[in-house]
Amino acid sequence: MDFVLDYVSLTTLWSMLSITHALLAVALIGALTHQAVAVLAPVRQGGTTGFIRRFRSVCGPGYTSAVCLLWILTVFLGGWIYAKYRIYVRIPIEQQGFLKTEGAFELKEHLTAIGLGLLPIYWYLWNNSGESRYDSARKWLTVVMAAICWYAFLIGHVLNNVRGFGS
Amino acid sequence: MIRAIASTRFRTFALVFAITAAVLYVVCDFAALPMFTYHPGTGRIDPGFAPARRDEGPAMYWYGWIATSALGASLTGFAAAILPERITAKIPLSLAWLAPIALLPFLIYSLKFYWRWS
Repeated sequence: MDFVLDYVSLTTLWSMLSITHALLAVALIGALTHQAVAVLAPVRQGGTTGFIRRFRSVCGPGYTSAVCLLWILTVFLGGWIYAKYRIYVRIPIEQQGFLKTEGAFELKEHLTAIGLGLLPIYWYLWNNSGESRYDSARKWLTVVMAAICWYAFLIGHVLNNVRGFGS
Repeated sequence: MIRAIASTRFRTFALVFAITAAVLYVVCDFAALPMFTYHPGTGRIDPGFAPARRDEGPAMYWYGWIATSALGASLTGFAAAILPERITAKIPLSLAWLAPIALLPFLIYSLKFYWRWS
């Protein structure tokens, strides 16, 4: 990675990685939210057309591989940034007394790691979406993963506001 | 037929992996059982649990917890996958999403240091 530093400063490099991490998270949250809404409130025949209906009527299985890949990439990139965070972000925010922000962020790290372990069964359940006996597990697993993703996204955003870009 | 058996075995592996990875992760957190410790200040990696070294910055265990729980969950998942289906079919699929919810209070408790008014 050293050759990159010939073109950009170290701070810029970490900011670029942080923004890429955030963009991957945006894509992940979009895909998972579509899937979660589609299984929680599936579209029935008839009814009105409109934004909400179109939002719910996505083909859930089509998102599966993208969600798995995005989750892995987002955690990988987040894990890379995490080492820098531990020194350059966590220590200063601890000194400033933002303990609950820090705790909420640590909880995000725990939950995303646990989410990583859910990917194989998530992938299996969605790749067998024709099996009605998996409907309940598929629905609630997707909802739990979407909830983890939303929590991680929001806390990551809050932490970035406390001490993120360019700091 | 072979495809169906492979699919069933993968389902068992994936289900047991999901449950045990979550449980082992929390156990690793509480019992301080990382596979390795990373010292980001110096780039040093120590096997197992190692406290922060003086004047070398903090120690990180998160990567080590993930590695330990992934290894343990993989072994448990493979072991479960070779069991007969009449046994593995009894493992409720709902545990895949119930386990993270049930473990959430423990994770919150493990961070009790942060939930206070400074």
